[in-house]
Amino acid sequence: MSRQTSDRLARRLTRILLLIPYAIKHPGISVDELSTRFGIKRDDLVEDLNLLFMCGLPGYGPGDLIDVDFDSGHVYVRMADYFATPLRLTPVEALALYAGGAAMASMPEMDEADALRRALAKLATALGTTDEGASIVDVRFEADPSDHLKTIQDALATHKRLRIEYFSASSGEQSTREIDPWTLYAALGRWYLIGFDHRSGEERMFRVDRIKSAEMLDADAEIPADFDPNAYSAAFRERPGQPTATFEISPRAGRWFEEYYPVRAGQTLADGWRSIELAYSKPQWVAALVLSLGDDVRAVAPGEVAAAVTELATEIAALYA
Amino acid sequence: MRRIERLINLIAALLETEQPMTADDIRRRIQGYETDNHELFRRTFERDKADLKAMGIPLELRHLDVFGDAAPGYIIPKTSYYLPEIDFQPDEVAALRIAATAVLGVEEQAGSGVMKLSMGAIDDTSSGARLAWNADVAASQPLLGPLYSAVADRVPVTFDYQPAGIDKPAGRRVEPYALVHRKGHWYLVGRDDRSDETRTFKVARITGGVKRTDGTYEIPAGFSAEEHLVAPVGAGEDLIARVRFDPSLRWWPEQNLAGAAASEGPDGSYDVEMPAASLDALTAFAVWWGSKVEVLEPPEAREHMKARLAHALDR
Repeated sequence: MSRQTSDRLARRLTRILLLIPYAIKHPGISVDELSTRFGIKRDDLVEDLNLLFMCGLPGYGPGDLIDVDFDSGHVYVRMADYFATPLRLTPVEALALYAGGAAMASMPEMDEADALRRALAKLATALGTTDEGASIVDVRFEADPSDHLKTIQDALATHKRLRIEYFSASSGEQSTREIDPWTLYAALGRWYLIGFDHRSGEERMFRVDRIKSAEMLDADAEIPADFDPNAYSAAFRERPGQPTATFEISPRAGRWFEEYYPVRAGQTLADGWRSIELAYSKPQWVAALVLSLGDDVRAVAPGEVAAAVTELATEIAALYA
Repeated sequence: MRRIERLINLIAALLETEQPMTADDIRRRIQGYETDNHELFRRTFERDKADLKAMGIPLELRHLDVFGDAAPGYIIPKTSYYLPEIDFQPDEVAALRIAATAVLGVEEQAGSGVMKLSMGAIDDTSSGARLAWNADVAASQPLLGPLYSAVADRVPVTFDYQPAGIDKPAGRRVEPYALVHRKGHWYLVGRDDRSDETRTFKVARITGGVKRTDGTYEIPAGFSAEEHLVAPVGAGEDLIARVRFDPSLRWWPEQNLAGAAASEGPDGSYDVEMPAASLDALTAFAVWWGSKVEVLEPPEAREHMKARLAHALDR
């Protein structure tokens, strides 16, 4: 069986082992509500329930099989007391909650911060993951020393436009821009603002620590109806039509490089170096990256990126002459 | 009978049984395993066991008699399977639910986690306001699960580890104390057998898998993971650089390095002392600002930068 099939099976089984105790705790819950609760299609839920008719304890007679009834549109699960309490949290479930909670606790002025702290403490005690108060999982985000996070959050909450002064590493310039904020996003321990940049007429991502000032405007911000924050589950998102830079990277740098950057494709060469493809929007961005890698990188292409490396190096070299 | 039905039957039987069931019991009594072909049964059962373990289901093998004559048996202990009762207040469940929607990459697991914790809750806050922010904590990294279990169970682990700049991985045996997330990366802090010291390991540099070993240990009283973190994530940076910011960028150190020693430079520039993890990290930091940031000290940092520039211009 392939890994993928196995994963799908594991996900379904996990869901069913959660579905049973939920249905037992809520006898008579409607099929529709149950499918909403679990975020699955009605047909998929019915398929899961149908499967249970065949399951139960050795003997597998009428008194041994799980009793499932949902003909009336209301779900009753009986004869499955051993499944009435859910499986303890899996490691990844516990980690996801701790990590999400820690990220949340790092936000300024969260109303829920106190309740969250209590919840995580109870969780840690129940799971035995605390040792005299020191949690075995410790997630921390860099605090924002300015008030920008607060201002951006206010603008997001009230759907207002922002005016920011921003230093762009890819252009080496500082500028004032008006932004319709869509979301705040934390990755690699930093906060990013994502939104529509009226100056360039494009969707852009801004590092919050490189914002010099942020001010909320009276103008309303537009957020696309189909905006999906989940599209940002990698720190950098490739936009359609972006050009590709290619270069080769040493075995020493290759290992961590592919963890950090949005590498589109990589291939190991005969001498152990990796040939890498990377989507970019501004050649200056790749140039800074290449410069910072020093002699761990070679064979930079295309020409506009190689030219940008030379240009940036020449510009910086003037400081050290 | 489909595989998923067989697995549900296996979990039900091993959870409900009072005596551990031998492989032979399982083959004869649990629906879905009946076959006269020993080899087929063995393969099927091995695969099922592996899948249940991967899902976090606590399947245990027990020896039924001390002399080891009888075949060992399998059981899923209720105390290990069932989630302990936790008495959450409604606002605590609501806060967890918000936290669960904020993590990217593992939303599904966070969601099922909250569902388990709020089984009996009748409130309907599932359609709460959409969060205006999200966090990617890289919790989907596959080794985190096994490492987390090891710390929670206090079980020493072995793995192959390849530190930065080293060409070949080497085997380690570690008593894990804590998992720490800093700047987008996960670290394992624990006692390293080889050096008999508390060490920090970057999870992404563990090659291959993590194996549990025999034995157990205690986390030392007063242990603090923070004290053992090393640069670039910890406080122990050993390089202090002096860096000159262009007048137009004076706000950056003022906003982000408040409290750092600073002095006025020529023509309105601003000289700031800042910690750096390494010469590489310092150079990378400086080049991102183009010609608006100059590394002044230490001299070896300037030489490092010059070498990088010369290499690039020589290409």
